[in-house]
This record gives sequence, C-alpha cells and structure tokens, in this order.
Amino acid sequence: MIESRPVADPGDIEVGGLELVPHRELLSRSIDAWFPLSPGDRPRVEPDQAVVAGDPLADRLREPRTIVLPRSPGRHGPVEPGQPWSAGAGRRVREGETPPEGEILFRSGGRWRVAAGERFETLVAPFAGVVREVHRGIGIRVTADARGIAGTHVRAGPTSGRLQVVAAADAELRAPHVDVGAAGAIIVAGARMDAEALARARAVGIRGVIVAGLGIKERRDFMASERRGRAAVHGLPSFAVLVLDGAARRPISNAHMALFEALEGRPAAIVGRPPCLVVDDTGIELPLPDRDELRVRSGPLVGAEGRWAGLAGPRRFAAGLTVESAFVRFGDRPPIAVPIGDLERFV
Amino acid sequence: MTSAPRALLAVDAGLATTTVSLLGRPGGRWRLLGSLSVPAPADPDAVATVLAGRVAAADRGLADRLDLQPGDAPELPRLTSRTPPGQPLVVIAASRRAVSLLQDVATRTPWHVHAASPETHDPREMTELALRPGVDTLLLGCSDPPGPDERGALDDVAALVGAVARRRPELRIVLAGPIAQLRAWREALGSAAEPPPPDAPYADASRSGEPTGEAPDASAATGAAEGAEVADAARIVHAPPIRLRDGPDEPLREILEGLLPRADVTRHVAVQSAISLADLLDLRLELVDIGLDGGLRVMASPGVADGGPAGVAVRTAAGGLAPMEIDDRAVESVLAWTTGSLDRHRMGDRLLDLRARPWADATGEGARRRLAAARAALARLAAVTTDLGALPTPDLTILAGGAFAAAPPRAVALALADTIRRTGATQVALDHARLLGPLGTIEDPDERRSILRDLADDLLAPIGTVVVVAGAPAGRRANQRVGTLTFVDDGPTPAIDLHGGEVAFYEMAPGARATATLEFRDAVRFGRRARRVTVPVSGGVGGLAVDLRDVPLRLPERRDRRRAALVHWDQLAWPGTDR
Repeated sequence: MIESRPVADPGDIEVGGLELVPHRELLSRSIDAWFPLSPGDRPRVEPDQAVVAGDPLADRLREPRTIVLPRSPGRHGPVEPGQPWSAGAGRRVREGETPPEGEILFRSGGRWRVAAGERFETLVAPFAGVVREVHRGIGIRVTADARGIAGTHVRAGPTSGRLQVVAAADAELRAPHVDVGAAGAIIVAGARMDAEALARARAVGIRGVIVAGLGIKERRDFMASERRGRAAVHGLPSFAVLVLDGAARRPISNAHMALFEALEGRPAAIVGRPPCLVVDDTGIELPLPDRDELRVRSGPLVGAEGRWAGLAGPRRFAAGLTVESAFVRFGDRPPIAVPIGDLERFV
Repeated sequence: MTSAPRALLAVDAGLATTTVSLLGRPGGRWRLLGSLSVPAPADPDAVATVLAGRVAAADRGLADRLDLQPGDAPELPRLTSRTPPGQPLVVIAASRRAVSLLQDVATRTPWHVHAASPETHDPREMTELALRPGVDTLLLGCSDPPGPDERGALDDVAALVGAVARRRPELRIVLAGPIAQLRAWREALGSAAEPPPPDAPYADASRSGEPTGEAPDASAATGAAEGAEVADAARIVHAPPIRLRDGPDEPLREILEGLLPRADVTRHVAVQSAISLADLLDLRLELVDIGLDGGLRVMASPGVADGGPAGVAVRTAAGGLAPMEIDDRAVESVLAWTTGSLDRHRMGDRLLDLRARPWADATGEGARRRLAAARAALARLAAVTTDLGALPTPDLTILAGGAFAAAPPRAVALALADTIRRTGATQVALDHARLLGPLGTIEDPDERRSILRDLADDLLAPIGTVVVVAGAPAGRRANQRVGTLTFVDDGPTPAIDLHGGEVAFYEMAPGARATATLEFRDAVRFGRRARRVTVPVSGGVGGLAVDLRDVPLRLPERRDRRRAALVHWDQLAWPGTDR
C-alpha cells in the first residue's frame, strides 16, 4: 500500500535526488530514421539525396520468394550478391506478363538463388530529409532537422497524416466510436485501443494511431490483420500504431497530451526506428513540462502526476517490501512516498 | 588498485538498476558503509552523493574519520562493473539437427541466439536474418565429416553466408568445422576464404577434447586472408566442428564468449570474486545471478593442497529475468509459478512491461510476478547448466542480481529450493549490495582476496539454510508424520514433526549455528540413502527451510491444484501480506 500519511515534519525531507528518478526524453531535436528493407526490395534513392514527404524511397516486394536460376543471371560481366535482377531484362515481355524482379542472393552448385517477386508496393518518405545511407536488402537511413516525440515502439508503418486528438488521455477508444471524419489523420486515441477498433480505424482511412498502451493480444491481432491486408490483391495504404508507454493500461501523460494538443491539425509522421512521431514544422513553440513534474508510471497510483518533494529513503510498501522512495506532492495535498521505480520524469 | 584509500565506491551498472556501494576503512579493515540501488541508467556520481550524505547524516564521526564529504563522493576512487545489453548471434547450419547442436552450445553463452537452417527457413529468410543491421556476429557450423543430413544443403548455406560476408564487410563470422575447405565457401568469398592455418587455436582442442582455456583473440584465429573482395578477413574465426555425441563444448563456447567484451562485465568478473571467496571461506560455493538480460551460474571450490581455487561458470542469456521476445512459452513458464488470476494475455502484458521497465512495479502484486519470473529464469538456467546441477550440493549458495533485490528472504529461499533442486543442505546468502561484480574487477588475486576477507561479513546477507531431502513418502493423510527434526544448539531441543511432500520454515536468527538431525521412518535420499541425517545449519533472516518435496519438483498438472499448492507454499514465504 502507498504511504498516504502526510509528512510529519517537512524539514525532514531530503531535498535533491531528482536525478535518481528514471527519465525519458520527450522531444528530440533531430531525426535519424532507419527504414528496413528485405532482400528483393528496390531502393529508389541515392545517398545524399534530398527527399520530401511523399517521395518514393523504395519498392518493397509484396510476396517475395526464392527463385533458382540454372545459369548465370549476368549477361554483361560478373555477378555480385545483392545485385538487382529482372527476368524481363534483355528479352521481349509478353502482353499481360509481369516478369519477376529482385536481387541476387548467392551461387551454389552452379545455380543462382534470387529473392524475387512480381508485385511491389512503394515505401514513401513520411517526412522531408536527406538520405544518408542506402543498403540494398538491408535498409535506408534518412535524417532531418525535425522534432520527434518518442514512444516505446511502433507496429507497422511508416505513415504520415495530420494530427488529430479524438479521445481524452485516459479514454479507451472503441470500434463504434472510430469516426470516418478522421480519415487521413493520425489520431491520438487515449489510453488503449483493442484490435477491432484498430481494424476499423484502418478501414475508414485513418493513417495512424497513437495510444499509451497496447496489449500483447492486440499487437498480435493487429499484426495478423496487417499481414492479411498486405497479402490482399490491392494491398493496404500505410498505417502505423505508435505506443507511448507499454502494454498495460495507463493514461497518456499530461506532457504528451500538451504536445499533441499544440500540434493538432499539423502534418506529422510515425516512424518505427526510432519509434516516434515526427513533426516537420520546427517553427512551432511546443510546451515542455517543468523539471520537477513527475508521473506515476506503475503501481496503485498509476497515471497520477505531481511534483517532486524530495527523497523519502527506503520505505516499506505493499507485500512487506522495503524499497527506495521519493515524496511526491499531488495537487495541494501533503506529499506522499512513492517507490522511485514507479516514477518517471521527462527531460 | 595500488594505493590504499580510506573510502571507495563500488559501482555495479546493470541494465535494470545501478547500485553504488560506499566502502570505508575506518579502523584498518574495509567495511560496507551503505549501498543504494536506483533505476538504470543512473549517474553514479549523483547516487554516490546521496549515499555519502546519508552515511554522514547517520554517523558524523565516521564520516569525519574517513574524511568523507557528500559533495566530494564522486571524486572517490571506484571499482566499476557493468552489464552490456545482450547481442544477437545468428546460428546457421545445414540441417535442423546440426543447428540444434550449435544452438545448445551457443545458448550456454551470453549471446541471444537466432537459429536457422534450410529445413526451417527459406534462403531469402536466412539472408534477411544475417543481413539485419543489429546482427554483427554469425556462427556457421557443420560436423566433421558432415553428417548425411547436412551434405545436401551444406554447400548452399556456406555460399549463402559467404555472399552475406561480401555484402556486410563488418560482419564477424565463426566457422565451426571444415567450412573453409568447401568449394562453395571459397567461391562465395573469393581469395579471402583461405582455410585455417595449421596452428589455429581450435585444432588441438578439437582433437583432444580439452578446453583451450582463455578464448583466442579473434584476429589471431583467422585465416590469413588478403582478398580484395573482403576488406577485413580477420573477422573470420575458426572453431571446432559440431560434435555428434555429447562432448565438452568449452572450445566453441570459449570462442563465442571471447568475442564479447568481458574486461569489466559483471557476470564475467563476478566469477573471479566467487572463486576468491570460496578459497577465503574454505567452502564450496555456488553463485546464481539472475539479471534482466541473462544469468550466471558458478560452482567454485577452494584450493586443496597444491591446487589453487577453481571454478566452473556458465553465463547464459536464457537465464534472463524477462526474455527479449515475450512469446507463449515465456508467458506459460511464468504463469506456471503464479498464484494470481491473470490470464495469458494479461501476463504477457506484464512481462512486456517488465522487460521495458524492469525496475517498475516492484511492490505488491508486482513483486510476486517478478519472483515468478525469477523462478522461471532459474528453471531455464538450471536446464542449460545440468552439468553444474550434477555436482554435489555446495556449502554456500549466493544469490545475486536485481531479481532478488526486493523480495522477502523466505520467498527468495523458496524460489531457489523450487528450481535448483538437489538433495543436501546449503547455506543461502544474498549479494545484497551487488559487490561481487565490482570487487571482481580487482586484477590482483591477493588484493582481491584481501578486500574480500575484510568485507566477507558485510557483502553477504544471510538468508538461512535450505535442507532438501528426497524420497520422503508423502503422507496418505494430511499432516501425516514421516520423521522428526531435532536441533542441537546449546542443548537438544524438542523434536519437531516432519511431513512428507511439504516444505517448512523454522526461525533461526542470523549468526545462529546449530546441528540439525532429521530422522525418518523409512530411508530417504540425502546425497545417499539414509534414515538419519545430521547436518550443520546456520540461521538467517529467512531461517531454516526443510524441504521434503520431490526432486525434481513435480507440480500438479491441473492448474487449480497447482495453484493451491503454490498458494500454500507462498503463505510460508510471504506471511501476513494482503492479497
């Protein structure tokens, strides 16, 4: 149980020690994003090339497979692993035929293995930046002087759209409440969403979802739905889920909500590596939390936010355990002791 | 450490917590003045300042004698050990059987293993796995000569890995077996694919079956390649082939471990501390460390006659508190030890959060879940260290790592008794200030031994003694007596009834010593079969645990019955807590 009695003598509080509270970076000043590629994907950019949002970065194979070639695929010189390959190169392609294309993998026993397929989908740049690295079959690195609001992980993506707050910080958005009016937007959906609501969000044309937590079942169901959609004939438009905290249910922090509200209506993007919301507009003033603002991230007071009131030292909590703790002042009430491990601050 | 300061800091920078301990020498010997653990990553200077402030506030005279000023604490000399994040190792072989053998060896290292073979993965998928940016080491192996199941695909996997090596010049490749002699490998890699030199470090070990000792330097173990196609051929390390039958895996294991940093890595240097401590205390001891990303099990024995102290250690990523990927198997392994009402999905959520923020939710139900995860990790550690489990019960078992930092002492003792099961009696202690790692960084064994001698009483928090007896028949009726327990301390105490299939705790204060005599109606197993067993026991904050349950422990298959049994045992370990 949380120590709920007020402090007998506020003079006993050990001032300082705020740096012992675990911290997270809320806002980064530049973005260094990595877009992974698989063998067979075709990069469409070069290093040092500037891209704007919507520019194609690569063509991704939708149904890749391994093809065995009985003879050398190179007609004009030696063949290297990683080299692009096309079945249609150097011959007339019949009407209606889509020759497979891909990438040389390796040669063994006089035969070549090629990662190839017939259908591609385009990976577009979700934000403007400069391409720094291009590695066929591995990935593309893009950097930008944009700001990033960090999350813990991203499912699917990347994606882009205007930012729209559709739910309160502690709300759980259900499928019937997913509005088609948010089509084309990245929505801030509160504490949590279930797989059905995510499927409906994608179906109505929403481009991305930001939630505080996403459970393991919802992650699996969503990714299974994503795989089915990708395998369909026409594929799916880009969509991503940015998870700000973790798996258990907890509200979005006030610091995050203040940022989202300040950015509402502006273009944004979700990228997976690092997992963050990218905001291209560097001119806008974004509200940042005070240094002594704390958030209870786990435990009985999960979601509560208060101000640092000093170290409380080792204290006995539920299950008879003694752990290092700190005093936190919630509103106008006297400070109470909370395990340091349950606290979080933003820097 | 060459000078003799009056105070110093010991810093264990783990992945989940950073622990700073303040050591002082107020009267000619080192003492532990205090320690403080906070969520990682934390600035050790800030932790040291707070810790020194507390020591000064508690005993101003002591602080003055040590010339300890809280603001100057960061300037104190320090011993630092750290735990780097686990690194992925892609393991590839030509058949499922071969990759399984390699995986068994690699699992007994701190690498996080991702295995693939043509029977489980398409060539494109294997290439994608090997090309992943986070992967910087790959193990490719085969038997010598290759088995019938390997021959069909060996050229393919050799060519695949050779092609990946050309595409990723920074990738380090361990070749276990005669891969370098394959034409497919040489063609794929070009002139860089020269066979290993005759004096390759593995050559003798692979023939004699003896471990090579210190792992060879990667650059020394490579073929002398100067191919134009591959910029740095020194990244190719040659290792012994896969063994078809059970055999010592040390040569390959040492090579794999040698590729990881280990100069100041906690689970590496703590082994040195354990060996020094075993020699110092003249006890056979076992060190069991469960951390976020891996575990360590060490069996250390004191020097005898001309032989110095020795130790056998296994560091494994399988012993981590929360696996890197939370799958159904990981969830089930923790659920098997829980008494709460969480379903599989919710438990998965809790494990994901434990993995992401291991320091959070450490009290209340979170503490029980953490200890359930620690039991699952101990069980995994025991499963990959069966060779150590087969050794005689140690005199002293030391538990270390953040998994046990915030748990009642009896719960810790019970977690150990539940998972590392051997008949016999062992004292159990906790490395509560996480000192074994930092002290292990002292390179001079005499100096390490000297400081350990001073700190031996402080660095281990006694939990008590665990006595495990096997073969005691479970009573057909509840509370049926199968034997008695008698203590001889200052004088004999009244006999206490023992009940088959049960575990019981008896109060025994820290520092107390006694002789316990267990008498049974029928013969039981306690190292050997006997009806009467007499063992020295010592007290601790958890007391004496007498465990008459099965060895190995067999929990009921039905979930409700298993949960009832766990609840019953839990009540002994977590007394008086509200649920």
